[in-house]
Amino acid sequence: MHSLMQTKKASQEHLLPYAQRSDFKVARANELTGKDRRFFRFLEIVPGVAAWTTIIGIVLASIYAPFIAAYFIIAFSIYWVLKTIFLSYHVRYNWKRLKHHMELDWGAMVQRFSYDKYYHLVIFPFYKEPIEVLEQTIEGMLAAKYDAQKIILVFAAEARAGTEAEAVARSLEKKYGASFGHFLVTIHPDDIVGEIAGKGSNVHWALHQVRQQVIDAYNIPYKNILTSVFDIDTVIYPDYFNCLIWFFMTVENPYKSCFQPVPLFTNNLWEASALSRVMAMSSTFWQMIMQERPEKAATFSSHSVSFQALYEIGYGQANVVSEDSRIFWNLMIANNGDFQVVSMSYPIAMDATTASTFWGTIANIYRQHRRWTYGVENWCYIVYHFTKNKAIPLRKRWSVALLQGEGYWSLVTNPIMLFILGWAPIFLGTREFHETVLSYELPIMVRNLLIVAMFGLVVSAVISLSLTPPRPDGHSRFRYIVMMLQWIMVPMTMIVFSAIPGLDAQTRLMFGRYMGFWVTPKARIK
Amino acid sequence: MTHEPEIQILPQKHRSIFFWILVVIFLIALPSLIFYTTGYRLSFENQETSIVTTGGMYITTDNLEVDVYLDEEPVERPRLFRSAYYIQNIAAGQHRIVVQSPGYRTWAKVLPVDSRVVTEASAFNVPEIAQLRPITLYETATGTAVYFSNTIIDKIFSQASSTEAFHYSTSTATTTLQVNSEFLFVESLFGTTSTSTQSVFSRLLEEVGKFGFATTTPKETASSTEVVEKTIRGDMELLDEDGELYARWLGSTASIPYYFCITNSSLASTSYRYGEHVAAAIEAAQQSTSTPLLVDNNRVCRTQVKLNRLRQDVFYYDFFPNSSDLVLMKLQNGIYVTEIDDRAWQNTQLLYPGVDMQIIVENGVIYIQDGEHYFQIATEIETN
Repeated sequence: MHSLMQTKKASQEHLLPYAQRSDFKVARANELTGKDRRFFRFLEIVPGVAAWTTIIGIVLASIYAPFIAAYFIIAFSIYWVLKTIFLSYHVRYNWKRLKHHMELDWGAMVQRFSYDKYYHLVIFPFYKEPIEVLEQTIEGMLAAKYDAQKIILVFAAEARAGTEAEAVARSLEKKYGASFGHFLVTIHPDDIVGEIAGKGSNVHWALHQVRQQVIDAYNIPYKNILTSVFDIDTVIYPDYFNCLIWFFMTVENPYKSCFQPVPLFTNNLWEASALSRVMAMSSTFWQMIMQERPEKAATFSSHSVSFQALYEIGYGQANVVSEDSRIFWNLMIANNGDFQVVSMSYPIAMDATTASTFWGTIANIYRQHRRWTYGVENWCYIVYHFTKNKAIPLRKRWSVALLQGEGYWSLVTNPIMLFILGWAPIFLGTREFHETVLSYELPIMVRNLLIVAMFGLVVSAVISLSLTPPRPDGHSRFRYIVMMLQWIMVPMTMIVFSAIPGLDAQTRLMFGRYMGFWVTPKARIK
Repeated sequence: MTHEPEIQILPQKHRSIFFWILVVIFLIALPSLIFYTTGYRLSFENQETSIVTTGGMYITTDNLEVDVYLDEEPVERPRLFRSAYYIQNIAAGQHRIVVQSPGYRTWAKVLPVDSRVVTEASAFNVPEIAQLRPITLYETATGTAVYFSNTIIDKIFSQASSTEAFHYSTSTATTTLQVNSEFLFVESLFGTTSTSTQSVFSRLLEEVGKFGFATTTPKETASSTEVVEKTIRGDMELLDEDGELYARWLGSTASIPYYFCITNSSLASTSYRYGEHVAAAIEAAQQSTSTPLLVDNNRVCRTQVKLNRLRQDVFYYDFFPNSSDLVLMKLQNGIYVTEIDDRAWQNTQLLYPGVDMQIIVENGVIYIQDGEHYFQIATEIETN
């Protein structure tokens, strides 16, 4: 029987002082006691209450104070247009930088550095994904313009996935093991107390195992290892490791940095439905925006960080859903705020969420986005620790808390306010309101402002086409037209796949109905 | 050789400048758009720039293909919804609104527009030439109506148009024809519901000894001793009383139709804005205990409006199909549609001319019996 106690037996001396706190890896209020528990529970309630208060508030204002509601809606519509312009500016800039980075010869650029001593530890946690997905991932690794002998490849299987998952990993080890410096298969036990099943706990286990079985066994200094935790569908672009090394060697403090590529969900883009493509590209655009807004960025999905940094915080948390972002907050808080996200503006390819049926696709996208938006649990975590770790500059604590809070609030409320509640005063307002010019002009004004905002979609459509992989044989050129027109679905997708799952996630957290990790199915649609 | 990317991360300075530019735009746009949406406009008349306040008009129509004119100027198509026109930027004052369409009768009204307020009206247009769908006893296998006498053309279709082709048979043989079940249905309607062809005045004088109305529609009788008869749709009631026809609102003040209400002002102002008859009605309502005036903040509402019967006897009345704002009346020289809205005047349009005929509205369909013939009256011109 494994238990957290066994892993805790190891000395904690290597941990940063703040990471040694018993509540450092808190995930939920019920893991705390007394005042801390009540405070954390309060934080869990805040996002849901804020969102529902906003939505219900607009409905009530539309009924009882329609003039104020109408002015607010006009203000909000203007804000939305300007926000669209602001974000489009970032997307467009990052697109230029991304294209530029894709054209650079990173292999030549890193020649001026002495980087032979560095290893790339690449962890691929997986569950029951089919072997063709895993093989495509490995083929991507082999195609990398990098010495594969400097790569430690870990396929992290789940015991709960059964012997078949391990057999798949072993067969890959047999087939590709010799191609890499090290090839390790780890099996994450399913009975470790205190964990939640999912990618985070699997990676946590894999990091322990690879340190014991490879890193320590071969005396590789922790500071010489760059750890990349990739989703199993991640196919790297050939220069990824050179690009990573370049950033690692050039940033001011590489051991206080996470390195974030741009996820392009393009592996199966031509096979995916228009809905999947829009959602996939929307996620990509959001990450592109984050690339140019480092003060708001956290790690997302596949990313890289030094093993030393991970070791200093005990590899992050095995008890959270949004582990990909939580690792950054762990690092930032343990390092007293002195940790940053470095935007690489270099792509990695992943899968767009699909299923074999239309409704299956909708269900999968919804669940995936609910999981992503459950990242609001991170807001509770950072605010909780911001009240504890006074070594983090006060200004940083406030700005991060407010920026992150605004992000989760606007994610849930803005689409609903814009596309649904914007019309509420017209339908719910008083007779006095209905007789006014304002009542009649409001929908026209909101509509016109939304049309202006929709020009941002034109930018999106153009950029998305430029990031689309070449058209495979068997796909009509007509699909390009569909790929342009598909963006008209955005108002709907913002509500159905951002706002509603976000509200779902925040409401669950508000009521203490904690979510588990839902594994996004990865498959190749023929 | 390149040692580092030429494009660096978006500089914080650029982002800040861009952000503050957008903040400035927001601060300028917000009050500007709020003023605009509440009716304020910049005026450049007389080489002077000034801020003026405007109002609007909201006109609903029952016809999708109409032309709307405001003060004789055509209104572009600023449709808010499919069958509604919202006209912006109207200076405060009296304005003439006209809604017309080729082949249809014209609807017109002069209404007051106030600053920052939208005046509502509902237009209707019935065909200039009555549109009849023949309903004959016999029809062909393909459903075409069959007449055995060509007098129908002289008698009926000299002043009306048929919505469907019909067949004139010189033979009286019916073996190749089929019986039209709709004819039997309509015939039974007129057979079981006798409509009076007698003048209301004369009939009432004969039967009850005082003025009243004869009607064939199901009515709720207020009491067995009263002659007053009522037709109700939703919260709207049509009733004849003292020789006149009225529309009366039975619902709450909150949901009363806009045309019952006017801005609360002096009788002189009311007379100027809405017509003398409205001012008189308001004055009467102020004294009335049975249909009192409702005061609702800045407006006053009557609960009863007298309908324009063109100084003719009313032989029949009912709500126009699918409307509680329009009334169908059979007068001495034909079937008319009138609006309850009496602001300025009531538009009353001839739907079907004729004297010797009967009318029944059944399930939203207007049927008439003209002589021995039955028809359905179409309220729109069919376009094939």
